[in-house]
Amino acid sequence: MTLFILKRLAQIIPVTLGVTLVVFLIMQMIPGDPAIILAGEGASTETVEELRENLGLNKPLYVQYGEYVNDLLHGDMGHSLKNKQPVLEEIATRLPITIELAFYSILITIVLGLIAGIISAIRPYSIIDASFMVVALLGISLPSFWLGILLMYVFSVQLQWLPVAGWDSAKHIILPAITLGAGGAAIVARMTRSSMLDVVNQDYIRTAKAKGLKGYVIIAKHALRNALIPVITVVGLQFGSLLGGTVLVESVFAVNGLGRMIVDAIRTRDIPVVQGGVLVASLIFVVINLAVDIMYRLFNKRIDLN
Amino acid sequence: MKDEKVLEVKNLQTYFYSSEGIAKAVDGVSFTLHKGETLGIVGESGCGKSMTSLSLLRLVPSPPGKIINGEILLNNTDLLKLSDEELRKIRGNKISMIFQEPMTSLNPVLTVGEQIAETIRLHQGLSRKEAWQKAVEMIRLVGIPAPEKRAKQEPYQLSGGMRQRIMIAMALACTPDVLIADEPTTALDVTIQAQIIDIIRNLQQQLGMSIIFITHDLGVVAEICDKIAVMYAGQVVEEGATDSIFAKPLHPYTNGLIQSLPKLYEDQEELSTIHGTVPSTYDYPIGCRYAERCPFATDLCHDQQPDLMTVVDDKKVRCWMYSEEWQGKHLRGAV
Amino acid sequence: MEKITLTVDHSILTNARKAARKKNRARFMNKMKKNKAAVAGGIIIALYLLIFLIGPLLAPYDPYDVQLEQKLQAPSLEHLMGTDDKGRDIFSRILYGSRLSIGVGFSAVLFGGTIGTILGLIAGYYGKWIDSIISRILDIMLAFPGILLALAIVSALGPSLINVTIAVGFFSIPMFARIVRGSTMEVKKLEYIDAVKTLGANDFTILAKHVFPNILSPIIVQASMRLATAILSAAGLSFLGLGAQPPSPEWGAMLSSGRDFIFTAPYMAMFPGIMISILVLGFNLFGDGLRDALDPRMKN
Repeated sequence: MTLFILKRLAQIIPVTLGVTLVVFLIMQMIPGDPAIILAGEGASTETVEELRENLGLNKPLYVQYGEYVNDLLHGDMGHSLKNKQPVLEEIATRLPITIELAFYSILITIVLGLIAGIISAIRPYSIIDASFMVVALLGISLPSFWLGILLMYVFSVQLQWLPVAGWDSAKHIILPAITLGAGGAAIVARMTRSSMLDVVNQDYIRTAKAKGLKGYVIIAKHALRNALIPVITVVGLQFGSLLGGTVLVESVFAVNGLGRMIVDAIRTRDIPVVQGGVLVASLIFVVINLAVDIMYRLFNKRIDLN
Repeated sequence: MKDEKVLEVKNLQTYFYSSEGIAKAVDGVSFTLHKGETLGIVGESGCGKSMTSLSLLRLVPSPPGKIINGEILLNNTDLLKLSDEELRKIRGNKISMIFQEPMTSLNPVLTVGEQIAETIRLHQGLSRKEAWQKAVEMIRLVGIPAPEKRAKQEPYQLSGGMRQRIMIAMALACTPDVLIADEPTTALDVTIQAQIIDIIRNLQQQLGMSIIFITHDLGVVAEICDKIAVMYAGQVVEEGATDSIFAKPLHPYTNGLIQSLPKLYEDQEELSTIHGTVPSTYDYPIGCRYAERCPFATDLCHDQQPDLMTVVDDKKVRCWMYSEEWQGKHLRGAV
Repeated sequence: MEKITLTVDHSILTNARKAARKKNRARFMNKMKKNKAAVAGGIIIALYLLIFLIGPLLAPYDPYDVQLEQKLQAPSLEHLMGTDDKGRDIFSRILYGSRLSIGVGFSAVLFGGTIGTILGLIAGYYGKWIDSIISRILDIMLAFPGILLALAIVSALGPSLINVTIAVGFFSIPMFARIVRGSTMEVKKLEYIDAVKTLGANDFTILAKHVFPNILSPIIVQASMRLATAILSAAGLSFLGLGAQPPSPEWGAMLSSGRDFIFTAPYMAMFPGIMISILVLGFNLFGDGLRDALDPRMKN
């Protein structure tokens, strides 16, 4: 197990480097001279040349990349082109909001998804099961930005129960969190259901019945523990779409998180901010993936050894 | 003591309903099991022997399966009339079961000790600690070394033979009246098979339970069973004491099965086989279900189904050859 | 004696494989037909393709025609889905927009699918260090959460529908490559491939004529599932203002401008949203059916 964790940690290093490389290359992919873009429109030739010199843009690419990584290691993600503030500071104010949103969303994903999936699996092909699965199918089919607008229309515009946008009170969290968590909840519910139905047909469940165990003991103790193993992977994958989804949901509900920061920066072509935002989100995802892998391995060691 | 009936099954019928029709997996099976006795239920795969054993504890997957008729009397209580809750108290307690696949029949995420102990807690109301101790005792009883250590392990850490021993320990933890062993040795190596059979036989002597031993292996049956019920196409075709069946099989099918066994002291060019195939469970012939493959079959066999009839004392057979009609016909022929 | 020709025609082998595939396909089609959800999904997709093909011909108005005096009209017989803030007929815009929204999805999947398949074939067939390098690159691409990689690409290339297509296509490369790599490694082990090799076929022929046709079905399944994601991602990027630019009738962009009128004219956002949702629903239903039909565990 320790060996596995060490191996997995070692794998992270090239992936992380690769991510920084891709983010670094974003700048190079921009058509035109990066120095001119960075200096902003209408900058004088001297300013451009000065910037080129300062940022080392005249050096070979691999030197530039080395300096970029070196800067990152020292906590320097460059400065915003718009307000000249360090990118890291901007991220530090935005990230907590996104983490809060992501936390409540994943909570909704896991709790709603598991409950719906288990209920469906206990009474397969019943009316409850069918209605849950229809809702789940809708859940994975509605684009989050569209679901957000729908929820906003119903609960904020029509019923006026919840605020339209912003991030000031607990009430503000509800709609964005549901919007962001709904798709994942639907996927987890479908996965839990099919995994439970699969497990219920296993020989060891027949053994549990033959022992005279009570129905709920069979479900909670014997079936669920086994059924959750594949669900862990699915939840892990959901973190990825969830982090990506913050970009859309924060824009719909005007939440000033990391996602909205990235979108605004793309609109204003504030490339260093885009780079910083994408990098941070990706690194968080890499770490979460690592955690999920280790958890899966812990729960699943028996299957691997067979 | 041997005459005390523990389990009596009368005219059990278990059918499976699917889009292709009705499969009559178990079609009128009857047998009696006395205290301390071992009954072997023998037959080819698909003959309904496993479904018979699952029906006894009402474990037939439903849907599509359903027990549509019959009585299963355990100490004179009909299990088919009990509520689910009442039946639950009998499962694993009065009647318990071990299955063919030790690799998949234990829960992979629970320690084997816990899997045994939870049965004990459930049926005997012992505390966690007492139940665990008893579980360890049971593991010792089935001959696994270092039971304290093994109890804390999970199934993946145990070999197939060990897992089957754990299954036996689990099944016998509450000293049941009846143990149903559904092909318990089929998935194991030959040497392990012999060990498992020894364990079952020893524990039977210690604990005094009755056993229903389901298998397709006549060799195992000869070794362990007091009497045999031979099944063919969902029905019992012959029933009687093991010795007498091996000495003088009555039904042509039983005879065929015994002939197809390799013999140790005879030169055999090749093993004899039974020709033809088992009829589909969806579509049995009107007459005797073995008639298509039977070398002695007559029009009578093809037209009418024989009943299970008592021939001598304890021996029953489902074959026209032992009926009065047949005797009469042949007598007339002789005159 | 006649001279024995050594150039054995390997069409015999190819034909045998073809026959086997045909049989599999018949069995698969049979399963799909029995699956009601898959049929429903298929019908939905077919209807959208019909709109894609002939939609613009049916449009009653010019989708770009600004009629400010007719702005923000609720749905009526005259304007089936109402008019937007510039007085343009929403129904006509939806019909025209189908070309963009569906087209972007298909082009992106075609782009990503082609590159992904080639990478997967090479990695799976050659293995060793080539496989290692390609696999590491795929790992890196998969390390970006959700549509963030697409977002990063758009940020560099600049907002436009074509760049969105490239970005979304790029971000589906690793999904294709992984599936194709795995399937190629399976197929490579078949004796059939050994036989073809013995007959002297070169690597390109083997990959193109013998491996590729045998791994087509996982590619198709993947493509049908990626289409839903691609259409969603492209619409999402346009919604963020990074794809199709106004006055384009791309559905995501229409939804985005409709959001500003959610208090006064909710239908402006409703119809494009419904169009995207039902299309994605169709792909999901169809994808579920495909998976069930191809899953060996689902055998009765």
